[in-house]
Amino acid sequence: MNIFQLAFKNISGNSFRSGVVSLCALLVAAFALTTTLLIRGAENSLRLAIDRLGADIVVVPAGSEAKIESALLMGVPARFWMPQDNVNKIAVIPGIEAVSPQLYLATLTGADCCSVSDMFMIAYDPQTDFTIQPWLNQKLGDGLRLGEVVGGSYIFATEGVQNIKVYGYLVTLKANLEPTGTGLDQSMFFTFNTAYDIAQKSAVQAEEALVIPPDSISAVLVKAAPSSDLYAISAQIMRELPEVTPILSSNMFQSYRQQMTGLLKTILVIMGITLGLSVVLIGLVFSMAANERRKELGVIRALGATRQFVFQSLLMEASLLAFLGGATGIGLAVLSVYLFRKLLIVSLGFPFLLPSPAVLLLQIGVGLLLALVSVNLAALFPAIKISRQDPAVAMRE
Amino acid sequence: MITLEEVCKDYLLGKGSLVTAVRGVSLDISPKEFVVIVGRSGSGKTTLLNLSAGLTRPTSGNVMLDGTNLWNLSDKQQSYLRSQKIGFIFQFPSLLPTLTVHENVILPTVFGTKLSTAQASDQAKQLLQNVGLEEKLAAYPRQLSAGQQQRVVIARALMNQPEVILADEPTSNLDEKTELEIMDLFRDLHLSMGITIVLVTHTRQLISYGTRAVEMAEGRIVNGNK
Repeated sequence: MNIFQLAFKNISGNSFRSGVVSLCALLVAAFALTTTLLIRGAENSLRLAIDRLGADIVVVPAGSEAKIESALLMGVPARFWMPQDNVNKIAVIPGIEAVSPQLYLATLTGADCCSVSDMFMIAYDPQTDFTIQPWLNQKLGDGLRLGEVVGGSYIFATEGVQNIKVYGYLVTLKANLEPTGTGLDQSMFFTFNTAYDIAQKSAVQAEEALVIPPDSISAVLVKAAPSSDLYAISAQIMRELPEVTPILSSNMFQSYRQQMTGLLKTILVIMGITLGLSVVLIGLVFSMAANERRKELGVIRALGATRQFVFQSLLMEASLLAFLGGATGIGLAVLSVYLFRKLLIVSLGFPFLLPSPAVLLLQIGVGLLLALVSVNLAALFPAIKISRQDPAVAMRE
Repeated sequence: MITLEEVCKDYLLGKGSLVTAVRGVSLDISPKEFVVIVGRSGSGKTTLLNLSAGLTRPTSGNVMLDGTNLWNLSDKQQSYLRSQKIGFIFQFPSLLPTLTVHENVILPTVFGTKLSTAQASDQAKQLLQNVGLEEKLAAYPRQLSAGQQQRVVIARALMNQPEVILADEPTSNLDEKTELEIMDLFRDLHLSMGITIVLVTHTRQLISYGTRAVEMAEGRIVNGNK
């Protein structure tokens, strides 16, 4: 028998006390991990959405900033228009390397002519595009032809092999993009030609026609020349075209970031309170247990245990309980977040993406460490107190 | 073997009041003695026993074990000495409730032993056989009678083959028949194994089991010192 087995025997023989301490460790670890997963998941998602956008600046009609954020992040369909010749006006601004227009469209709500209701769709110009075209060339070896689409990670064919119905028009799903955890995962990408073809045929094939105003686009994606001043370019765009708003990709989703910061603060406060209460409760349980076991620990000392052994065995018990509770809490947290991630996205109103296995392992490690530290911290004072006690006095009480 | 020189022990009780449990006691216990310390409740017997094993620090005076002053040793050295040389038997139920009988007997080896795990296990089984509890190896203390529990405690006290056994009122919670059985066991241990025994009791009838009786009253030895 060794100190580990002795500690294990002791915690398994005191189910109520062990249960309370483990439960506290479970709460600490589960709460810490859930919080980290959600916050990091949302941040990761925002970063990927910006990367997917692939532009330094997005130019939209003034007043459409919130709409484009909602569309890109949560997949809420957005429709706004500006004159197509804005593309040429922006292209000549110094410091700009490339520009490419996009059309933002949406399927109908609950119509038989659309496989998916209220789906956000992005049409791009293959002649100028610098965001999706490189990925397509790399993945498919070619761009999209008329009637071909690529979908976000949640888009799948519903009308026979690789076909999706859009305004009564059957498009072919050529590939799916990597998940981002944002609305882009539920969106579809195709060329301007496909968009105009759908619009033209929708008058006959769809319950309601897809209208693309003539000579109109929704947004202009801007790629700046290396080492150019993005703020200066934005200011110049606003001077040249007062009716548009340039959004720096680094400033994209500011409102979401602010909401997230607010939520993060609230969560941190709740976590602090949970942690504090857990430490106090565990400390109380350990103090009571140490008092209850005073005689027993006195006997162990009389049999030859050193003060250090008593101290270590109490902390060993604490660590075992923290590990058991913490591991259970972590398991539950990961399972809950995985199973209910869609519900969380809807209820929190944030995008979310599960982290990579390596990052998840790191977060699990941190959660477990937090449980171990908090339980050991709580057990430290009772362990020091009881281990220093005179064995004769301990046995007398 | 155990020598106490002018030992005093004061206890600080609540509200700052001081109680003197042992007053200037000198006692010399030689190897292979069976010393029975008698006295009324509160006479300082248990404190004297605890002082002898280094379980409490004397307020003044010296406690020597085989010529070594216990309080000149570190906690680690003192604990090791205790685990190797002294076997304890307490008045109260002192078996660990979460351990089986076999594990309870092995317990002292956790703190220091020259035996391997297998040897310790075999020795524990042998000791339990000697006290008539070989069939209770896997039982938990709550499943045993008070007399059986005290037999397990005796087996535990013998686990590290100590030179001396300190027994504090070992029969006070037992019925008369079991008390006699336990006392016969002590006598056998003393006669057959030559173990030094210091037994504290308030029952004067048990004096006959010892080779020497020491009587205490009000923290002093009043009779039986060499």
